[in-house]
Amino acid sequence: MNLSERIDALLERVEKPVRYMGGEYGAVVKDPHAVSVRYAFLFPDTYEVGMSHLGMKILYHTINARTDALCERVFSPWVDMAAQMRAENVPLFTLESRSPVRDFDLLGITLQYEMSFTNILEALDLAGIPLRREERRSGPFVICGGPCAFNPEPLAPFVDFFVLGDGEVSTHQTIDAYKAWKAAGLPREEYLRMVAKIPGVYVPSFYNVRYNADGTIAEIAPKPGTDAPETVYKALVSDLTHADYPEKLIVPYGEVVHNRIMLEIFRGCTRGCRFCQAGMIYRPVRERSMERLLDLAEKLVRATGYDEISLMSLSSGDYSCLPELAREMVRRFAERRVKISLPSQRIDNVLTDTLRETQKVRKTALTLAPEAGTQRLRDVINKGVTEEDLVRSVTDAFEQGWSAVKLYFMLGLPTETDEDVLGIARLAGLVRECYLSLPKEKRAPGLRITVSASVFVPKNFTPFQWAAQAKNEEILRRQQLLRHALAKIKGVEFKYHAMDLSYIEAVFARGDRRLADVLERAWRLGCRFDGWSDQFRYDLWRQAFDEIGLDPDFYASRERPDEEIFPWEHLDAGVSREFLLREWKKAQNAARTQDCRKGCVGCGMRRYEGACR
Amino acid sequence: MRMLLRFGKNRRLRFVSHLDMQRFFQRALNRTGLPIAFSQGFNPHPVMSFASALAMGWTSEYEVLDVKLSAPMGRGRVEEAMRQALPEDLPVLGARMVDDRFPAAMALVRCADYRITPEGEGAPAILAAAEAFCAAKHVMGVRKTKSGEREIDMRPLALSLEAREGSLYARLMLTERDTLKPDVLLAGLAGLAGVEAPRSRVHRLRLLGEDAAGEIAPLMELKSV
Repeated sequence: MNLSERIDALLERVEKPVRYMGGEYGAVVKDPHAVSVRYAFLFPDTYEVGMSHLGMKILYHTINARTDALCERVFSPWVDMAAQMRAENVPLFTLESRSPVRDFDLLGITLQYEMSFTNILEALDLAGIPLRREERRSGPFVICGGPCAFNPEPLAPFVDFFVLGDGEVSTHQTIDAYKAWKAAGLPREEYLRMVAKIPGVYVPSFYNVRYNADGTIAEIAPKPGTDAPETVYKALVSDLTHADYPEKLIVPYGEVVHNRIMLEIFRGCTRGCRFCQAGMIYRPVRERSMERLLDLAEKLVRATGYDEISLMSLSSGDYSCLPELAREMVRRFAERRVKISLPSQRIDNVLTDTLRETQKVRKTALTLAPEAGTQRLRDVINKGVTEEDLVRSVTDAFEQGWSAVKLYFMLGLPTETDEDVLGIARLAGLVRECYLSLPKEKRAPGLRITVSASVFVPKNFTPFQWAAQAKNEEILRRQQLLRHALAKIKGVEFKYHAMDLSYIEAVFARGDRRLADVLERAWRLGCRFDGWSDQFRYDLWRQAFDEIGLDPDFYASRERPDEEIFPWEHLDAGVSREFLLREWKKAQNAARTQDCRKGCVGCGMRRYEGACR
Repeated sequence: MRMLLRFGKNRRLRFVSHLDMQRFFQRALNRTGLPIAFSQGFNPHPVMSFASALAMGWTSEYEVLDVKLSAPMGRGRVEEAMRQALPEDLPVLGARMVDDRFPAAMALVRCADYRITPEGEGAPAILAAAEAFCAAKHVMGVRKTKSGEREIDMRPLALSLEAREGSLYARLMLTERDTLKPDVLLAGLAGLAGVEAPRSRVHRLRLLGEDAAGEIAPLMELKSV
């Protein structure tokens, strides 16, 4: 039996075989002999999650637009499939041509979330690729990008190189370098020297890390003779309007998380929320022109047959001509029964009117994220939402017929007190009052308020990279405090999460190279799909830390001194260390920093040529 | 005007459920650019229906989709547009333009031809049991429906059954009232042969209907009904 037939035989025995099927409309299948570079793109989670990811769509499209390269998709096999593949000796394969991943030239992996790291080791092992870079003599180079590439150190020994920042250009540069390297017949190491010169590329094996006796870092420096830069600056695509964007999409058969056209209207965010890593590392704000967006929307509707376009970004309400864009979109597409959807977090009156008149806005729950329960704590995190904003948003929504509101908060934010925790319950009560203050005939029946409180995880390249994560017992106490307070308010549902997962996430979010051993140990003990609470095994993670002899508290629960050298000190995400430190100090005084659209706040982006006007 | 589209479902896509096929074809019709008629109401969708649902795991070379158009179109253009809109594993195998008064494809189906290929150790015994099945007056079996299990006589529901080249070729009833599914037939044959029902590949060869003269003919070729 050939590989395809052996895969077919496995599909009879696993849940959701459609995950491994391929053959979707829009999938690109090329002749492997007609190209010089074969690129496998791994999303280290399930098909349903990965197929909803915009970055993968962009890179898949831009690589396949080349005539000299092909890109095929790979997703993490669910645990049942992985077990079957091991039992039957079926190696990790791509969906398009069902070829073994180990036969590709480059293996690109996107790092969306720290808790997918064990899935990367699992994928390499299933592919038959040695986990550690120094054990690899042949087979694909392993490349990682995505937000977590900004703290790549826990993955350093497993990965050939990381690509920081926007991938639209750097991906092509790494493919071009591969062609040149192959044509020249050079040794493996030479390819790494070549890519190390590409903006945004970080080759971890070219750097030495020295530690102090207390476990903190003394120095990170390029190894002599490698020519690697002292600081790796992220790759930046300044002009998004002219950047590559897919004009065709793969249309999956089954339902995936986001099954619609995703139109990225801009990248970056100017608001400066201090907990938000995306808001920092994707700076500066770069808008796609309205003309280009309308053109893309037209092409994508024709190419896919989707009946919904979602206008995506970190904060879509901030697009400079959003009302015009939304109105024009509705004008062009309403007749073709294509819905335009916006993330519902910020409700703008003009906009909802536009959308409401021309199409049936689904009355799903209104979602708002005040993040913290008091104005003081919202000032600490620089979340520019006031109680008045909240009252206005929910009152508007109730008047327009909504009756379900979801409120998102974080517990354990720096400087949080019991007053802040109880403030969450007070806000929930206020939302209820807003609803009750409307006359009965003017509101939809059946008020539902959902309060969801996640555990704060300090991330690197944010002002809170110096902060300690609150300890387990303390978070449990605050969860109970809030639970009791909310129990007194009618119609409120409280959702909160176990602390363990956020704790391990916090360890890896600011971890160093030594954690690679813990990661590998945890994987060998059986950890995978750690982001799925039904798969997460805290006991095995504890065991891995014990066996390797590292203390997770050192990474998660320790406030860093101002001058501490971070494991990512040699990387530059755009925002400067000085800015982040300044923000950290202001946070402790609950001092706000303005949205930089209102005037430059000196975040450091101006060091990048052409980044900010 | 309506189009009856005949298409196949290749092995690669055999796990795509009927519900997912419906959603898939709604999007596929959207991207054809053809003048598709839409339903009225809160959530308009293309007016379309399948002649018969194909069970998960089966393949086919004779699925029929019935789609209402809001303007007349030539058969050639419709076929070409559908070819563009479907992936290679859902091959377009023909189209036919019919009048709005023509009965819905779903209402025309009387029976279907299948190729059923049993696999593994029990396969020869199953194939051999075809003869005994045909010779019998009654063969009792269990049909599962939404409302529960019901005992049926399978024999009259199998219009023909023959074993050749390692496969069973069967013409089985496929109406709301009288239906014999290939897996139920297999269970019956396994019972006759005294073996466990084996895993098998099911491939639909043809959907058939009955014309005004009472003749059974493939759905796409039915003349007067």
